[in-house]
Amino acid sequence: MPKNSKGRDVSEIIPDKCIGCQLCVAECPVGAIEMQGGVAKVDPEVCIGCGKCFDVCPVEAVIFEKPRKKKLTGIGQKPRPLDEYQGVAVFIEVRASKGAEVSWELLGKARELAGKLSTQVFGFLLGSGAEPLAKEAVTYGCDIVYMVDNPLLQTYLSRVYGKAMVNLCEQVKPEILLLGATPQGRDLASVIATQLETGLTADCTGLDIDAQERLLLMTRPTFGGNIMATIVCRSHRPQMSTVRPGVMKMPKRDPQHQGEIRNLDFEAPKEALPRVIDFVPIAPEVGEDIGRAPVLVVAGKGACDAGAMPMLEKLAELMGGAIGCSRPVVQAGLLPYTRQVGQTGRTVSPKIYIGVAVSGAVQHLVGMQGSEKIIAINTDRHAPLVQIADYALIGDYREIVPKLIKGLEARIQTFKSKENSK
Amino acid sequence: MKEAFDVAIVGAGPAGISAACILADAGVRTIVFERGEYPGSKNMSGGVLYGHDLAQVLPDYVERKCPIERNIIESRIWYLSKESGYNIGYRDGIFGTTRKHNAFTITRAKFDRWYAEQAHKKGALIVPSTVVVDLLRDEKGRVVGVSTGREQGEVQAKVTLLADGINSPLATRTGFRAEPKPEFVALAVKEILELPSATIEQRFGVSGEEGVTIEILGEITGGMDGVAAIYTNRNSLSLSIGANLADFAASKIKPYELIEAFKQHPMVVPLISGAHPREYIAHWLAEGGYDAMPAVYGNGYLIAGDSAMLFNALHREGNNLAMASGKMAAESIIEALKRGDYSRKGLARYAERLADSYVIKDMKKYRRFGRFLYQNKELFNELPRASSLAAREMLTVNGVSKKEKQKLIVKEFRKQVPLRRLLRLLWHGWRAIR
Amino acid sequence: MHIVCCIKQVPDTAQVKIDPETNTLVRSGVESISNPYDLVATEAGVQLVEQYGGKVTVISMGPPQTESALRECLSLGATEAILLSDRAFAGADTLATSYTLARAISKISAADPVDLVICGRQAIDGDTGQTGPGTATRLGYNQFVYVSKIIEVDVENRTITVRRQVEGGSETIEGKLPALLTVELELTTPRYATLPEFVRALRQDMKVWGANQIEAPAERLGLKGSPTWVKEIFVPKPQRSGVIFDGTGSSEQVVDNFLAAFLGKEAELLGELFDKGKG
Repeated sequence: MPKNSKGRDVSEIIPDKCIGCQLCVAECPVGAIEMQGGVAKVDPEVCIGCGKCFDVCPVEAVIFEKPRKKKLTGIGQKPRPLDEYQGVAVFIEVRASKGAEVSWELLGKARELAGKLSTQVFGFLLGSGAEPLAKEAVTYGCDIVYMVDNPLLQTYLSRVYGKAMVNLCEQVKPEILLLGATPQGRDLASVIATQLETGLTADCTGLDIDAQERLLLMTRPTFGGNIMATIVCRSHRPQMSTVRPGVMKMPKRDPQHQGEIRNLDFEAPKEALPRVIDFVPIAPEVGEDIGRAPVLVVAGKGACDAGAMPMLEKLAELMGGAIGCSRPVVQAGLLPYTRQVGQTGRTVSPKIYIGVAVSGAVQHLVGMQGSEKIIAINTDRHAPLVQIADYALIGDYREIVPKLIKGLEARIQTFKSKENSK
Repeated sequence: MKEAFDVAIVGAGPAGISAACILADAGVRTIVFERGEYPGSKNMSGGVLYGHDLAQVLPDYVERKCPIERNIIESRIWYLSKESGYNIGYRDGIFGTTRKHNAFTITRAKFDRWYAEQAHKKGALIVPSTVVVDLLRDEKGRVVGVSTGREQGEVQAKVTLLADGINSPLATRTGFRAEPKPEFVALAVKEILELPSATIEQRFGVSGEEGVTIEILGEITGGMDGVAAIYTNRNSLSLSIGANLADFAASKIKPYELIEAFKQHPMVVPLISGAHPREYIAHWLAEGGYDAMPAVYGNGYLIAGDSAMLFNALHREGNNLAMASGKMAAESIIEALKRGDYSRKGLARYAERLADSYVIKDMKKYRRFGRFLYQNKELFNELPRASSLAAREMLTVNGVSKKEKQKLIVKEFRKQVPLRRLLRLLWHGWRAIR
Repeated sequence: MHIVCCIKQVPDTAQVKIDPETNTLVRSGVESISNPYDLVATEAGVQLVEQYGGKVTVISMGPPQTESALRECLSLGATEAILLSDRAFAGADTLATSYTLARAISKISAADPVDLVICGRQAIDGDTGQTGPGTATRLGYNQFVYVSKIIEVDVENRTITVRRQVEGGSETIEGKLPALLTVELELTTPRYATLPEFVRALRQDMKVWGANQIEAPAERLGLKGSPTWVKEIFVPKPQRSGVIFDGTGSSEQVVDNFLAAFLGKEAELLGELFDKGKG
């Protein structure tokens, strides 16, 4: 432990570990910490050795050895013994009397998480006449579906759904609650987390379990950099997370899976509730939903050319897929926003992803890294997408794609004639 | 806008803000318009400021926490050829003691913001994100204020000071200044590279707040008439390189190519190794000199700073000329306001002040310098090559007698730069700075 | 009407661009801007009080430089601005942020009852739209998120009718005030302030409230009041072992080689696709 000239034990920061978040700067009661060259530095002469910087550092970059336990300050929620909370719960979102696909995707993931925790998977379902959905939830892996069935829950209202979900959480006490990051899911998740005074991490791209500490590890990209952050919610329950549609894999339905359906009562909120006057559906989009396509040909910044589109569409068609794009192509007005793949667009996980002149900025990568096989066509072998691709073709796409189309057509012909001659 | 002011200033750069500080101190109602989102957002300079002229406006600038990057104690000059070069430096401890802050490095975003804040504290109104699109005139054609791009954006003012920089679209639109010809303008690009302060101190042999500047000439500007520079900031380096605009047009070299090649020169590489590019910006420099200057005053208006083409290329002085001219403009305005005469006659004292000061005296002295550089491209091609060759041969110990070597060097040198040419070069060069 | 608009200052991502020629990161020195969604929210608030009378108060939680964002909103026509700035607020996640905002709005409401709170739908620096709903929940206000149009306000009967975006379409929904809206960009376009308004905004006094002024206990604020924290930051490692086919010579050859390898290795995958009816 370093000492200053007065002989006092002082803290020290490891520059290589420091991420420059400046939490320690704010926390230091005597202003002994300054930013230098992008990392924090302690002035040993000013430091009083209180260790607050050590407590607050999220990446353990502070050396401080006074025997101290890490303080965990409560914030309003009465700390219940954490092992009262068991189970991984998923909010089943209802859309046009069907279950939202993201809910099934989350059930698949919940099964995996529950396995590592040796616990059960719950479905939380709110609606009116939702029994068939509850049964379907069981086939997707729910051990118990807690259903609140009430006409008031026919349409989504924040207050009403919020109250019902908070009741469910208080009764069932799941340790983890997952919701799809849809407009409804985001709103609802925030209402629940606020009322339960618990932690919510949104738009997670990865979920895992630290079995030793029985913690949910939530991973999401931090903005702007090629950096991912893993976030935990240590002392509050349930640990909440929202996940975008298409990030987790759709599990297989198992009609034989056994599960219970429990009905719970619902007490309506007393105050006057907003009422929905009408609903205007948007016209079904022309063209397919790129989230469902098994093969995606994605036009990137280097293919921002109206003349290139027909060729790429042909390639997509040949492979039985659809065409998508990255943000610059939408900004250039060549394809509609519904075709955009990325953090602010759709998250996709096709069987085959073909990036044509896509550089692979992190905001795009997070939207497609779940693809099974990634093929990159690019002139730049150092482009990020090329780095993570399974196959990369280095060269000008204007030459490569037409030859690819020809080559595929030839092979399809050969295949067909073989089939015919059988 | 209903509210009227005594003085409207166009541009919140060093010239405009210097004037605003002096005017506000004298209780003159001053409004400053800046087209950028904040003062400094549209400015660029190599990065050296001279304390003397800043002190004329704000004697207590150090106490006011002027954002000084490093205090310059050593100035170097490099004369480069493609893979080699000369390096001459002068270091003097006095620049750290009794002549401290003679010159120091700044970054424009921080400095201009701080400087404008000082004017604001003194009572000047600084209005960012607002472009002045035209001048207001009365029926006699005298300037009586400005017109901005916002609704209800006309502001009456007794005197208007144009301090809107080298590009000054306003000066061109109002006809006060012709659009500068390409050969009177240089195009410069700059990169700020992040480097930890400890590394900078080690590489440049300084400590604490001390810094070094390097002015660079030679083949580094791709054969074009231009200069480059490396300046040390707290925890970054400012690298800038520029060349005459007419030369750029003729050579078809792209600015970013120029700076990339610059960064790869063997003498530059060890200084910047490991540094991360943080910022990139391009800008024009006024190189026309004295002969390209417009009339700096008229009925109801004055022109200061780069807008008046006040720039001394040889000595890399621009900010200080801007500050000095801004101060003199303010002083002349204060007199004019007292007398109630804002006509051409009433504001003429400004030009007199300038002429009496080092500003115009230096501009006159170096009026031929820009042309000299532009017309003598050997300075950027053959001469650096020949000089490098001379040094290389002289320094190589290979058993050849020194006399032989000398003969060889002179022969090679003459090949590159014939004697007649060299003499003419020296003669013109001497005349240019006399 | 008394409307409160919550705004945030964010890094200017538009300025963080890649120089297309050199492929290097370019930042031109502008660090922060007002979150575009929040400018829309403020403009919407100003339009409402222009129609129904009243005033708009803009608030923001952030460091001292947030002042410039607040002044930008003042120049749109907001009446008053309050900066919530205190070291204690630093490091707040969404739970602590919504707590701080809710406390501030409660205090504002105690002096002059608040009818409506308008926020932007999300912040462009990666926020995911949690703060608005969280704040509404704490205040007990009706909340309507993803609002694309404010249809009507009935001041006498204290109701508001809006159009909000939902999955598959949009809904017209009516509810009682006080309410909180989070708005979409398309709701309206922020005006370019007149010079007198802009100058007024520059000169306006700005209130600054710290933890004391909003009577917030330290353990609910900032990092202490945030149940989530960052355990680790890492650079995602490329996990795939990629095969590269270099086409800078002949693209014909490259494509052939690729197809041979791909169709060979991925036979199973392609089999699945073929089964789906490609033929």
